[in-house]
Amino acid sequence: MKYMINNSKFCSGFLIAALLIFINFGCTKNFEKYNTSNLSVSVDMASAFKHIMMAPVNFSGGGDPNSYQVQQNLSADAFSGYHMCAHFGAPNNMTYALNPGWNGEMFKVGYLDGMRYVSLIKNMGVDTKYPAAWAVAQIMQIECMHRVTDYYGPIPYSHAGPLENGQTGSVYDSQQDVYNEFFLQLDTIVTNLKAFISSGQKLPFDFSTMDLIYGNNPSNEFQNWLSYANSLRLRLAIRISNVDPATAKIQGEKALDPNNGGVLTDNSQIVQVQIPAGNFSNPLVAIAKNWVQTNIGASIQCYMTGYKDPRIGKYMDTCSNVAKYGKYRGIRVGTNPQPNESAYSGYSTINFKDGATPSFNLQTPVVLMTTAEVYFLRAEAALRNWSNAGGTADQLYEQGVQTSFNQWNAGSATTYLNDNTSVPDAYNDPLDAGNNASSPSSITVKWDDNASNEQKLERIITQKWIANFPEGMEGWTEFRRTGYPKLFPVVINSSGGTINTAVQIRRIPFSQDEYTLNNAEVIKAIQLLSTPADNGGTRLWWDTGKPNF
Amino acid sequence: MKLSIILLLISCLRVSANTYSQKLNLTLKNASFSQAFSAIEQKTRFRILYSDDLLPENTVNVEVRNEPLTNVLNHILYGSNLTYKVLDNKVIVISRTDAKFQAKTISGTVTDTSGNPLSGVSVMVKGTSKGTVTNAAGVYSIDVPDNNVTLVFVYVGYTIQEIPVNGDTVDVSLIPLEAAAGNDVVVTALGIKRSERDLTYSTQQIGGDELTRVKHTNLINSLNGKVAGLTINANGSGVGGSSKVVLRGSKSLLGNNQALYVIDGIPMNNNTTNQPSTGFGGTTSYDGGDPISNLNPDDIESITVLKGASASALYGGAGGNGVILITTKSGKNGKTQINFSSGATLNKIAYKPDFQNSYGQSLTTDGKGIDSTSIYSWGNPTSNSQDNLSQFFQTGNDFTNSISLSSGSKIAQSYFSYANTTSRGIEPGNKLQRNNFNFKEIGHFLNDKLTVDVNTNYITQNIDNSPNAGFYFNPLTGLYLFPRGRNIAQYKSMYEVPDVATGVPVQNWFDITPENDGSLQFGDDIQQNPWWIINRNTNALQRNRLILNAIVKYDFSSWFNLQARGSIDRINDIYDQKLYATTNPVVSGSNGKYYYSNGVSTQKYGDLIGNFNFSINNSVKITGLVGTSINDSKTVGRFYGSSGSVGLYYPNVFTLQNTITDPATTQDMPENHLQVQSVFASANIAYKDELYLDVTGRNDWSSSLSNTKDGYSFFYPSIGANALLNKIFKMPQSISLAKVRASYAEVGLAPLPYQSNPPIATIGSGGNASLNNTSPATALAPQKTKSWEIGTQWRFLGDRLGLDFTYYNTNTRNQTIQINQSVPTFYGNGYVIAGNIRNRGVELTINYDLISSSDFKWNTAVNYSFNQNKVLELAPGITQSILTGSGNGAQYVSMVKVGGSLGDIYGNVLQKDAQGRILIDSVSKSPIPTSADTSLLGNPNPKWQLGWNNNFTYKNFSLSFLVDGQFGGKVMSVTQQVMDGYGVSAITGAARSAGGVKINGAYQNGTPVTSVDAEKWYTTVGNRNGVAGEYMYSATVVRLREISLGYSLPIKSSVIKALKFSVIGSNLVYFYKKAPFDPGLTMSTGNGFSGVDIFMPPATRNFGLSLNATF
Repeated sequence: MKYMINNSKFCSGFLIAALLIFINFGCTKNFEKYNTSNLSVSVDMASAFKHIMMAPVNFSGGGDPNSYQVQQNLSADAFSGYHMCAHFGAPNNMTYALNPGWNGEMFKVGYLDGMRYVSLIKNMGVDTKYPAAWAVAQIMQIECMHRVTDYYGPIPYSHAGPLENGQTGSVYDSQQDVYNEFFLQLDTIVTNLKAFISSGQKLPFDFSTMDLIYGNNPSNEFQNWLSYANSLRLRLAIRISNVDPATAKIQGEKALDPNNGGVLTDNSQIVQVQIPAGNFSNPLVAIAKNWVQTNIGASIQCYMTGYKDPRIGKYMDTCSNVAKYGKYRGIRVGTNPQPNESAYSGYSTINFKDGATPSFNLQTPVVLMTTAEVYFLRAEAALRNWSNAGGTADQLYEQGVQTSFNQWNAGSATTYLNDNTSVPDAYNDPLDAGNNASSPSSITVKWDDNASNEQKLERIITQKWIANFPEGMEGWTEFRRTGYPKLFPVVINSSGGTINTAVQIRRIPFSQDEYTLNNAEVIKAIQLLSTPADNGGTRLWWDTGKPNF
Repeated sequence: MKLSIILLLISCLRVSANTYSQKLNLTLKNASFSQAFSAIEQKTRFRILYSDDLLPENTVNVEVRNEPLTNVLNHILYGSNLTYKVLDNKVIVISRTDAKFQAKTISGTVTDTSGNPLSGVSVMVKGTSKGTVTNAAGVYSIDVPDNNVTLVFVYVGYTIQEIPVNGDTVDVSLIPLEAAAGNDVVVTALGIKRSERDLTYSTQQIGGDELTRVKHTNLINSLNGKVAGLTINANGSGVGGSSKVVLRGSKSLLGNNQALYVIDGIPMNNNTTNQPSTGFGGTTSYDGGDPISNLNPDDIESITVLKGASASALYGGAGGNGVILITTKSGKNGKTQINFSSGATLNKIAYKPDFQNSYGQSLTTDGKGIDSTSIYSWGNPTSNSQDNLSQFFQTGNDFTNSISLSSGSKIAQSYFSYANTTSRGIEPGNKLQRNNFNFKEIGHFLNDKLTVDVNTNYITQNIDNSPNAGFYFNPLTGLYLFPRGRNIAQYKSMYEVPDVATGVPVQNWFDITPENDGSLQFGDDIQQNPWWIINRNTNALQRNRLILNAIVKYDFSSWFNLQARGSIDRINDIYDQKLYATTNPVVSGSNGKYYYSNGVSTQKYGDLIGNFNFSINNSVKITGLVGTSINDSKTVGRFYGSSGSVGLYYPNVFTLQNTITDPATTQDMPENHLQVQSVFASANIAYKDELYLDVTGRNDWSSSLSNTKDGYSFFYPSIGANALLNKIFKMPQSISLAKVRASYAEVGLAPLPYQSNPPIATIGSGGNASLNNTSPATALAPQKTKSWEIGTQWRFLGDRLGLDFTYYNTNTRNQTIQINQSVPTFYGNGYVIAGNIRNRGVELTINYDLISSSDFKWNTAVNYSFNQNKVLELAPGITQSILTGSGNGAQYVSMVKVGGSLGDIYGNVLQKDAQGRILIDSVSKSPIPTSADTSLLGNPNPKWQLGWNNNFTYKNFSLSFLVDGQFGGKVMSVTQQVMDGYGVSAITGAARSAGGVKINGAYQNGTPVTSVDAEKWYTTVGNRNGVAGEYMYSATVVRLREISLGYSLPIKSSVIKALKFSVIGSNLVYFYKKAPFDPGLTMSTGNGFSGVDIFMPPATRNFGLSLNATF
């Protein structure tokens, strides 16, 4: 049977269609709610402060130490001679085949875990409402970002953050400009902290609960931050002492000026980040203990065994098989671990297992600056005749060593400091004689006033390097600035000729992502390098390659 | 009484042609017969002669337009005891003289040849225009004047049948016009049945028997090799694993590329379940099993594959990847039937890696003896090597039993089924248990105008010890890498040993050595004792799923009906993994670890659709619909204890109380709430059954587009046409169908939830909030797939030979591309909308009933498809987009570059000199890899596919087999690479025996090198961090996919109606396979990890028996 169209039926059809459409409208009012994640929160001030404190040696993400491993452990920690990873085969970073996937991490952490949180703190109005807390945030920014510039050289600093109108990419500052900006910021920091301390005021909230560094000592909390700020200024001033001696002296003396509040002098003031509650752990320990992916480096082992350093048992574990590998054995940087990959993990590790109370466990605070380091900085300041060093170079040197011994509960350093015969050991690798190397240096521990300034500096830096263990970034950076301590070079150099084996690696190439995402600016940044070559062989601004005096 | 002249001049009685050409319009309501006759007289030149006392008392209703007079008269006199004769311009109404005359009602059921009810069949009384149509159960009833009439049954796609009435019931079984697909009624979008002949796009239908002949635990795998343009890759995750099902190539970078499943017109919840996301494997890197695999194949009537976007525009964005329409079985009117089906299959591994048997475990560094903890086999010659694999793998099996009961009356039909599936995998401990309950009830109310159809499915499924691919928790790493020449049996019998101090059992494996302090040192992060893993790294996945569908349909008139449908599909997955103390510390805490997740994914769907059909005149018919739908999907759930090495307070106590919890390890899952509301309309215009035009339009409002600048709403249309040339033009008799078709469609797909509005921050470890690194993408817009296809379909030799050819071209634009951002801007990544990915290709199916005698039949079918995928554009300034990043356990990256294809595998290669010789380092005497994973190594997708299906029947015997092949493409074997690096593979043994690896190489100074020490070579190119470029293999594989031999017992019993036994086999023979694994397997059904094997379990050969009985 056929049915005919007539107007009323057509109309009813459309009516129904219109009805259906009508049903549909007005139901989208919940769409924004649906499209908002149930997991979304906003960041509070405590989270932001804790985050920025955990960022310089990054464990701010909690969980596994993936970020720190590529931020530092597979580069600076190995290049400093402290640590070595016997995995990932060869070539890799540790044989100078620089892995772009790893080496962008320091950059990423600097901005996403460092500066971004400081900017968030500023957006909360902390800079105007609580200048002392803002000073803390800025100290952490400098702590975080000096590592970034000391890694790559030029970095976006004054223009970091969301792009401003008309900007097409983040502009890089030269390393000199970055350092000068640090010093300016430190001026504000010190002014704010001094004003706060002298005013006797209290913050209207309990800052110590969000302060992972000095929060456990609330009565001296901001005084300690002030000492840290001055010590940080001293570290940065010493860093540029060769390339820009005038600025270095001004800044160094400003740091040492007692009117500015003083530097770190006591081990209670060590800049160390407490591991907060939650699934956080000291990332180095986690890699060593849980992952079995980092062992002791050959250099630190040979210096300490050579010097019969009493701290060695605090620093490192004995080998899993002492008869086979010896009591302490490190792995030489740039070794091809295969086919002995598993055997190498039986070499010494940081001390997390043997001994009655191992020095390292997953909750061990992460040290960013030791008090001993500050004594060694002052020793160098004295050597450079800066005023207010507070002692002679030899006094400060010996105080530095003793302070470090105290830090590690290693007793008196007197015998150690009087040893004028022991030199670093040669390196022997029981698994592969191809890795063997002769003693890297003839420098001894005992201070020699008749030695040349260069030798004195080697002594200071060598002991500073031992005292700074296990934090490899400062160790590698100061090695690059001064050439000390004399470290074993890589066994295998896979840099394709860009890095001289003897001179060793000087920097890390710019983040590979920047070439695709911020190309114009990174190309300009290359011109800001000492030579316009973005590779590991190019020296940074403060790395003059000239004698230190 | 009025007297009238009655003239009876029979001999002169002639039906004037004029009479029939006289057409009239007439509308009468409750008119008496005399009123009706006078009305006709006024409108025609005929005089109607009748006797008053003959006229019945009742009244008539007439509404006709442009109908011949005879029809009008038939209509008026219908059911009365009157008839008429025509003489010139006179109509003489006379009384029937037939004594047997008796008006009566005939009813019956119309089915197809397999007994399925056909609804909408028109049933007419021959010679009249009186007719009716069958309802959803295929039932009709019609009043006829007497027993001397013939009923005519007409249904699109079936031969017209004329059946003389004999008795009160006329049941008919309609025979399809063609045995092959040509005129089959296919289920199309929204459950609408249409003749395939009318369609303007390409479809392919697979009957239920094709699905159950050789059963697979995941029924979708039964389609493999049978559908042109469909690529199925099964996850290598053992029983209950999911499958990647892609039609006409992958289209989306970040979105889902899987076909949409639609059950009885309602989209199924097809949320991609958990899939391995890293080559390492690990706690959360398991295959959750896809929703389609849960269904009972015996419940399925047929599957229709709508390949292109045209067909699926009515399903919205999710249909843009093609649609697989599943029609389930229902009860049948007047037919009570019990069906029992039982199958048993044995599964054996189809291949093993090749091992070397000549060299043993590596020596200590001083070379004095075997290093018993060395994980390498680069040692001295040995003759002790054994077949370790046979100690481990077992014969898997599947037992499937299902029973269905169906019965029905005119007003209600019921179908109930229960199926039980029990399987065990080839790895010990891997088991599956599944129970399917299905109840479907169809009821008809209000004189068949109202139909209510309710379908309930409840599924429980437990999978134990689903094998994890990748390095961790995978027994195969330890099994394959076990040093040659050593006896693995001791580690099988004692996979753990008691620890003297603690009493807690300790894992026993050759590379585990106790330290001085009693802790364990593991020689290798990627291996453990295989029996430890299956007994002490156990996992279990429990699924409970409920699917409830209800359809209410009301026929307002025969030209318009309104239907409302609602469905809820709720999947609850509980997964747990128990890792005992002394599991490798890289993946577990020292006291063990417990991971538990419990998630519910719910999809709610509702629609309201008005269907209409009418004719404008005899030539033009219009059918169509307008509708609205809402689809809401959401996941809620939690998990505990996922992160790396965070573990338990007390060893081996697997409770949440004992789990060290933290926001990093204990989380609510993102809800990913997505709601799409739509209105749509479709019209199909048919002209004389020769030309067809399809037009659809749809507008979606998607919640995932909130927070974007262009808003929620987007529209997309499609249009298609086809012409039946054999009707338009005169063609030789041998051509029974000649059709050309063309269509164009756009499909919009909303982005994923939260992409436009990523969380500002989330709570991380210790309750600290951490900022999100992803910038909000306010410029997001729906992905747009624009596709066109042209095709032609021909049938010859009385439909015995059929051919269908399609060419298609698809461009998918507005892709959501994840990009990294320059981090000094304070964001790490974000999304841009850009890109253009093209898929184009051809599909060809040929179907031939070679022999079609009554005893012996042979049908053969070939399907061929070719697809070319090309990335034409990415975002401006973006040259690549990474799908699987580096650091995934191998020197491998899956990334997309402009000019490349989705799925491209990149990796490192060996450095070569200018002459193409392999560079050998003159100091280390080893080859030199490039450092970056940036060389294009290949693409795993086949270039073309061919399937050849054959069915023979001889009397009660039937034999069918399917051979299929995938040709072209390259896959990567990290398994082989690691085995080579460890020195356990046959090739490393052969190279050692031959004195080195023969190469065309040179030192850096140009001195030629012809041979490299085997160990130096394979420890450089092998291992996880070796040279990926050396481990690419042809993905071409040709196999005997399925074979079955069946015998139907000739049954004369009144109880048993049919009984059939079959012997079945699947994946029995690889006619061609060069890769060391089956390239048809995949580690993940997501977009990454295609074509990469990282210690996947081998594919299996399957043999079995099946029994099918109908009572």
